[in-house]
Amino acid sequence: MKRHSLFRVLKMSLPYWKIILMSAFCVLAVNGAELAKPYVLKVVIDDFLKYRKPQSGLYSVTAMGIAYMLLVLISSTLTYVQQNSMNYVGQSIVTSVRRKIFSHIQRLPLPILDKFTTGRLITRATNDVEAISEMFTDVFINLFKDIFLLIGIVFVMLRMNVTLALIGFTVIPFIILLTNIVKKKMKANFVVIKGLTGRINGFFAENISGMKLVQIFNMQKEKQREFKELNDEYYKAALTRLTLNSILRPAIEIFNSLAIAILIWYGMGRIMGQSLELGVLYAFTEYIKQFFEPINDLAEKYNTIQSAVVSADRIFELLDKEDELEDYDSGVRVDRFRGDIEFKNVWFAYNDEDWVLKDVSFRISSGQTAAFVGATGSGKTTIINLLSRFYRVQKGEILIDGININDINLRDLRRNIAVVLQDVFLFSGSIRDNITLNSDIPEDRVEAALRLSCADAFINELPDKMDQPVTERGSTFSAGQRQLLAFARTIAHDPSIFVLDEATANIDTKTEGLIQRSIANVSRDRTTLIIAHRLSTIRNADVIFIIRKGRIVESGNHDELMALGGYYYQLNAVS
Amino acid sequence: MKSKIIAEFLKKYWYNYIIGAAFLILSSYIQTLSPRYLGTIFDLLREPVIDSRRILHYIVLLVLVAVGMFVTRFIWRYFIMGNARNMECFLRQKLLEHLQKLDVTFYNNRKTGDLMAYAVNDIGAVRQSFGPGVALVLNGLGLGLLSVFSMADSVHPRLTVFALLPIPFIIAIIVWLGRIIQKRFRAVQKNFASISDRINENISGIRVIKTYVQEDQEVDRFDLLNSKMMKSNLDLVRVSSLLSPLIQTLFGISFMINLIYGSTLVIDGTISLGSFVEFNGYLGMIMRPVISIGRIINVFQRGMASYKRLNEIFMEKPDITDTAHKSPVEKIQGGLEIRDLSFKYPGYDEYALRDINISLPEGKVLGIIGPTGSGKTTLVNLLLRLYKIDDGKIFIDGHDINDYRLEDLREAIGYVPQDNFLFSATISDNIRFFDDRFTEDDIENASRISLIYDNVMDFPDKFETVIGERGVNLSGGQKQRISIARALIKDPAITILDDALSAVDTQTEEEILKNLRQDMKGRTCIIIAHRISALKHADEIIVLDHGRIIERGTHKSLLEQRGYYYELYRDQYQKEQREKIESEAS
Repeated sequence: MKRHSLFRVLKMSLPYWKIILMSAFCVLAVNGAELAKPYVLKVVIDDFLKYRKPQSGLYSVTAMGIAYMLLVLISSTLTYVQQNSMNYVGQSIVTSVRRKIFSHIQRLPLPILDKFTTGRLITRATNDVEAISEMFTDVFINLFKDIFLLIGIVFVMLRMNVTLALIGFTVIPFIILLTNIVKKKMKANFVVIKGLTGRINGFFAENISGMKLVQIFNMQKEKQREFKELNDEYYKAALTRLTLNSILRPAIEIFNSLAIAILIWYGMGRIMGQSLELGVLYAFTEYIKQFFEPINDLAEKYNTIQSAVVSADRIFELLDKEDELEDYDSGVRVDRFRGDIEFKNVWFAYNDEDWVLKDVSFRISSGQTAAFVGATGSGKTTIINLLSRFYRVQKGEILIDGININDINLRDLRRNIAVVLQDVFLFSGSIRDNITLNSDIPEDRVEAALRLSCADAFINELPDKMDQPVTERGSTFSAGQRQLLAFARTIAHDPSIFVLDEATANIDTKTEGLIQRSIANVSRDRTTLIIAHRLSTIRNADVIFIIRKGRIVESGNHDELMALGGYYYQLNAVS
Repeated sequence: MKSKIIAEFLKKYWYNYIIGAAFLILSSYIQTLSPRYLGTIFDLLREPVIDSRRILHYIVLLVLVAVGMFVTRFIWRYFIMGNARNMECFLRQKLLEHLQKLDVTFYNNRKTGDLMAYAVNDIGAVRQSFGPGVALVLNGLGLGLLSVFSMADSVHPRLTVFALLPIPFIIAIIVWLGRIIQKRFRAVQKNFASISDRINENISGIRVIKTYVQEDQEVDRFDLLNSKMMKSNLDLVRVSSLLSPLIQTLFGISFMINLIYGSTLVIDGTISLGSFVEFNGYLGMIMRPVISIGRIINVFQRGMASYKRLNEIFMEKPDITDTAHKSPVEKIQGGLEIRDLSFKYPGYDEYALRDINISLPEGKVLGIIGPTGSGKTTLVNLLLRLYKIDDGKIFIDGHDINDYRLEDLREAIGYVPQDNFLFSATISDNIRFFDDRFTEDDIENASRISLIYDNVMDFPDKFETVIGERGVNLSGGQKQRISIARALIKDPAITILDDALSAVDTQTEEEILKNLRQDMKGRTCIIIAHRISALKHADEIIVLDHGRIIERGTHKSLLEQRGYYYELYRDQYQKEQREKIESEAS
């Protein structure tokens, strides 16, 4: 899984191979410059300082100094070019990953979406994506650079003096062993920290949304305690991370010194025997330092890689729900429904065999208004969830115009069914945005919708009318006003099937009178499903279904049901 | 004005920094020994007769230096970086506590995503400053000063001055670029917050989006933000990546000076070859902290920007605070009086409530009815002291509500809000609201009164059933009834139902109200509703319209008044009655 994710992230960089290649070239040149620096020093020490060779023209201390400076300039310029181009690659990839995640979230079916907390999903698109970005900008090219630097140093060292080089390398196995042990622990630790960060995110998101209630119920202390536990857990994990980090780097430096010590000890004998130049030994101590730098770096980058891998795992876990995504493309394309709805022996449960609907069958003909009546939790809302295919039925089938809804293009299905939900959700933006929802709806239709929904009355009293800003979740509007806006939204989108889900409950009777009239207008040429508690709302329905405990127990129009003298009759008698 | 939040932390944990700093400086000192030993070794190697015992001595010292560095570094990291982690957790806890104090007015103007960025990104950036940032500074200062001193002392003063000539330029560049970096970093952070925000809102409203098939448009809108984010990131890197190469180039000049001038000194015989090597070692040692100045600036600028943002939040003062340390009565009984109350929401010109006078003796039931936006919820918000009101307007048990401690006041009120917010926790936790005082019996009892008990028993895990973040697996009516249980479990002196029965059917409503009348006998109760059936038993009913009480009385007397209430009643009931008779006749 781990290697797999990393590989997939790297695969995303393929379209940018030209830029990456150029960066790699820059990096190689920088490496060359870095490798040449100690060599310049060696020449100065051996040729001019030790043997005092005569200086002439380019073969002089001054020329060497200038050469050194040029190497630095090349290295700096190319580093800048490389960093910016790799950052461009990283950002491009990350931007597309972020887009993918977002559009993915759009297409996740509700049953799956309900399992994620909002905080966790936000973390996927922000922090997790950032971690991958860091891998491209910080790690990816540096990894390449470090590896080539290592190879370069090994090559130069071997060429200068094979024995010295081999001695220098003796400590490598220890370093690899140490790094391996520590990094295993680091990985486990990273998963823990990521998980905790997600939970902290989630905690804050939920508590900020529910702050008013926490305050009214004086539950601040309890929430603080709950958070403290989470926070302490995080602190502990962070300290573990710190300890692991503290060990790895300095320990590598001990090996660095050991290598230099061994080199000098060995070189001492050679120098006495005149078989080794002092400058070569000096260059070696410099190379050894340079040699450990990339190894050091690699260990350091390991953190970033770790967190990027964990993030990539989590991102792919989300993105890999490909086959569970709602399919918007296949299925029968339908422009408009006539509006014949039929439920055929429908069984449905949210969990396992906990049946919410039991063998429900009914038929609503085109243009009819159907009402569903029943106690809370009897399964009325579920019928709407199924009709819009938010959930799929387990047994039986649902037909619209004689086509199984599972075969209808989902986009067309939902576009044609407008639902006013129980909890009205408003987006931040303007009132107009909330009605058109980014669709291209002409001004006169928006105004007509406002009139029909009776929302125009309160909107006209607002200073900016339709351009009045709506804050997050529409908190500045009353529940009733939000409901009116939801009606306007529905009417503006001109659906062929119209569904009202207990939406009238929050509106005062006066306004509701107006709404009843507008519903009558809207439902005239549309199949309309109404779920409401008020008998007056449903009296005019063509057909009324009484649902009890997931089953339809009575059906017919008002007169028929009254004549039946069953549950509906009693319901009427109560008030 | 600055908040004292960080000072408070430092006051408690300053010694960690002292210990850490001591070990850090020790570590730096040990580190400067290494070039010196190496230089000495090279001088010894140049001698015609090599003294291998002395060289061995220095080689051993060289290794000991590395071990010493390992130990000291481990210790200072533990104290400094560990302390920063501690600070991170401290700040986050404090932020939560602070947020809990801020009132509704604050939250009305803020977005959840924005506020979350404080808890995650900003606190993270502050930690970076106080951990790695401080360490880099101390380490750089220690290492730099010790190196410079060693260079001038044991090698050559003039060479040192020449070699360090570029450093002022380096500092100037760092300051200049730093400013630009800070500005661009802020833009990145802002975009980051907008992205969090957009996703947050999108997920919360996903049902609407799906219902109206707005997914593609949402993605398009997100794309705009996304490309803005990318651009701001690229802009940032364009300047931030300039810093290190510039510094490196200027440092190259130092090395060049050492190479040319230092070599001349060796050839002159002014300094030894070993000193030349040593000097080069010191330069390399200074280079690292100076290069890291770029990172330090980065870290501190992010830290400062974040600290400023955090500071703004910590400086936010709630409008509503306790003026009294002790509430005027031990236990609130629930007598309520409102005198000439008028109220405008902050920032609005229009009155939300006008000349409200209510007298509700303890144990009585008040019904409030009126059209949408007439001020019903506002009145409740004021009773809960969610907004600030003047003294002498609202009295509970004869005392001004501003004289009560907020905690005592709210403890005495059982509030059921219009929109049901449940936490993603178990049903039992939601009902007792994480308060351990309540027993299982309390929970069962409250859920029986609110008629949720049977539903809960149908769930596989009963009261331990976890509700999804937005409580999606519950119907609106079930959520409302859990909210009611949550209010009732407190056995409050005053119960407020703010349109809390809207999502349950009339039969359930009737039964809940009956339970309330029985179990909450003698308790003050305020019922806001649109259906007359919900409040016709109230001792007093007021009709609100445009913030004014337009009618008041009992169900009976209001009907006699033949006003708004009467019309409403006629709409709601007589029509049904008439139709019922008609249908029965047919």
